[in-house]
Amino acid sequence: MTSATAPTTQLPGPARRRAWLPVVISAFSGTTGFAIKIALLSISNALAIWAAYVLATRHNWIVVAVLIGVTALVDVVFLTPRKWAVPLKFLVPGTLLLIAFQVIPILYTFNVAFTNYSTGHILTKAQAIKGIELTSLQQPNNGKTYTLGVAQSGSGYVLILEDQASGKSYVGTDKGLTPLPPGAVKASGGQIVSAQGYKLLSGLALFNAVDGPLQKLVVPVGHGAGIRAQSPTTAVELEPTLRYDPKRDVFVSLVSGAVYHDDGKGQFSNPTAGPLLPGWKTYIGTKNFTAIINDPTVKTPFIRVFIWTFVFAAGTVLFSFAIGLFLAVALDKRGMRFQRVYRTILIIPWAIPGFLSLLVWGGLLNSEFGVINNVLHLSVPWLTDANWARFSCILVSTWLTVPYFFVVSMGALQAIPNELVEAARVDGGGPFQIFRRVTFPLLLVAVGPLLIASFAFNFNNFNNIYLLTRGGPTFTGGNGVAGATDILISYTYKLAIASGLGNNFGLAAAISIIIFVITAVLAGIGFSRTAVLEERI
Amino acid sequence: MSTVDAVAAAPVAVEQKAPRKRPKLAETWWRHIVGIVACLVALFPVWFVVSAAFNRDQSVSGTTFLPTHWTLGNFGTLLHNNIKDPSTGSPVYAPFLRWFGNTLLVATVAALCTVFISALAAYAFSRYRFRGRRFGMLALLLVQMFPTLLLVVAIYLIVYNVGSIFPTFGLNSYPALILVYLGGAMGVNTWLMKGFFDTIPKELDESARVDGATPAQIYWGVVLPLALPILAVIFLWSFIFALNEFVIASAIMQTPSHYTLPVGLNQFISGNYGQYWGYFAAACLIAAIPAALLFAWLQRYIVSGLAQGAVKG
Repeated sequence: MTSATAPTTQLPGPARRRAWLPVVISAFSGTTGFAIKIALLSISNALAIWAAYVLATRHNWIVVAVLIGVTALVDVVFLTPRKWAVPLKFLVPGTLLLIAFQVIPILYTFNVAFTNYSTGHILTKAQAIKGIELTSLQQPNNGKTYTLGVAQSGSGYVLILEDQASGKSYVGTDKGLTPLPPGAVKASGGQIVSAQGYKLLSGLALFNAVDGPLQKLVVPVGHGAGIRAQSPTTAVELEPTLRYDPKRDVFVSLVSGAVYHDDGKGQFSNPTAGPLLPGWKTYIGTKNFTAIINDPTVKTPFIRVFIWTFVFAAGTVLFSFAIGLFLAVALDKRGMRFQRVYRTILIIPWAIPGFLSLLVWGGLLNSEFGVINNVLHLSVPWLTDANWARFSCILVSTWLTVPYFFVVSMGALQAIPNELVEAARVDGGGPFQIFRRVTFPLLLVAVGPLLIASFAFNFNNFNNIYLLTRGGPTFTGGNGVAGATDILISYTYKLAIASGLGNNFGLAAAISIIIFVITAVLAGIGFSRTAVLEERI
Repeated sequence: MSTVDAVAAAPVAVEQKAPRKRPKLAETWWRHIVGIVACLVALFPVWFVVSAAFNRDQSVSGTTFLPTHWTLGNFGTLLHNNIKDPSTGSPVYAPFLRWFGNTLLVATVAALCTVFISALAAYAFSRYRFRGRRFGMLALLLVQMFPTLLLVVAIYLIVYNVGSIFPTFGLNSYPALILVYLGGAMGVNTWLMKGFFDTIPKELDESARVDGATPAQIYWGVVLPLALPILAVIFLWSFIFALNEFVIASAIMQTPSHYTLPVGLNQFISGNYGQYWGYFAAACLIAAIPAALLFAWLQRYIVSGLAQGAVKG
């Protein structure tokens, strides 16, 4: 046996020459480090005081309390000479960040999973009631109409109104109507030409205002009625068609008399007329989870995505491992020429940032312009046909992952004691038999946990799918969100944010929790196989 | 095999002793064929990108094995931010250098801070025995199982709300993006580092303590310089993570001038493979440089980090 295969425990650090980095690092150990610590503490305290002041002016008392508490804790931990504080000094910086950007978002996600938080159910109930009152406003028969001018006032707008029936003029704000003295407003040809003391909007500014912010500006005139701009030159008096009754917590239609009850799903609804829009965010128990099992529009795409996620992750790992191992076996011949050249080139796909490779592959496989179709004179719909897209995803993923398993297998192969192989050869084993019965089982012991880790990683490999196919092509007969190559994590992302069909944060959060459980179980299997957990703690 | 055995063993195992005799080509010819084919497969996308970067034609379909019209124009146009829509002639906003700078800034700062934070925590877990230690380590592992990606909605809302009061830490802010990345700084990194620290003999700490060193002096002066290999690996992983990260960056960075490279290039090229392929290829060549340099510089540490089961995306 040669010594090349013997693992040693010596540190691979720079042993011979003293590198500059360790010198720089150890410079922090003395007075310099202490000065930096004091400076950082002072800065963080100053920032905290300023932030607390800003928050106090906004009456954000809970946040102020948390801020003061955390800052005081940090100060105590870093300034006390007591022994118990020593481990805390090391743990506090990371823990605070972990709580702010991982633990709180996780708790929030768990919270959202049990709500109906989604497009149409974003507001609070009070905001939703206001919204319904606003949308229920309609122009009654022979209601008043006004000639309209719009002027800017402070940060908002005011309406300059001339009653078309009486000729009286008013200025309207969100507080109400104020009469203007006769002659202050001049109108001609159905337009207000000037208004004393106001600068009227015109042209594009006027159109933008009428299309945007003025849709929300209703000048109240009593009894729930109000005046709203209808066009750049006219405004109309509107009356509500629905009235909210706070005692019974219902909306009553003033037209038909129908009653809309809070149906517990975050909306007011009537058995025959249906729900009123908008709804509000509310807790709906486990409905998001049961929908995955019961509701066919949720269940069908979920199951297809679920299966493909496993196929994709398993396919990527198996092909990558098989090819990587084969390459390692083929190139692991002692003294072979160009071995180092092959090894360096084979690692290249892995040294290129993944997002670049994926975008490049997107171009190579493009069915219209793609290099592969062009060079090989094919017209394969690599990324646009469901099955070809699935094939392409695994292909590209494998291309990206082979170097990893090549390096890993190479290391593991060389760590297998040569005596074992020699002994098998002496006993008359052929090369293939030796590989199957000696080398491979030993290799699997070392690589097994990495296979599971790689599976868990690819299970959540968002970039590989999203940057290549966007999860598409979209299924027909699904909910319009899920696509043939969507894995759970990209499907969730699209449900929550990027589908263009509205946001379903509640369902997305529920699926997130399912992914979390699966990943945790996979990791659990990985750790129990290696028993590394107990050993390391 | 304990953690550091693996860290230390892998580079040693991969390096081979000088051969006593070369095997004959008659024995190894098939190995060379496998090697050559594999290298061709590994290189062919890279080759076509290089070819397109130096070719005048802007469509993917114009890409050939060798450029038909050699030019350096793609690089010039890209770096001067001078790209024009071929059909309308109007300028296309693709400030590549800006994106590149944003990415390097965010990735470097985030990676440095990640190394700093996770090494601190790992040292505490390795050297001190305190109440809640075991719980802390298990909790770290569990929190890490929750893919950060899925927290994007919650993270967005937090950053948005903080930003409405403190714009420096709101949307479109580099400090905000870096802080969000640092939320995941502990976790797997801490586990890896703790394994390494465990193998640095405790006697070193003890003798320093006897000599009157404070905990900070032991940490910075004795232990950390010895942990350089694992610090290098964690730096590289964190750097590459931040370099590749797409979802959180796209949620927080909303205006094109603040994009990082994955967000910017994805928006620039998706749907435009027929128009800007040459510029994109030139961008890829430049963008691959930092990671390639880091890889080359830290190569022997990477192989050892790999043996730990760290997985790159």
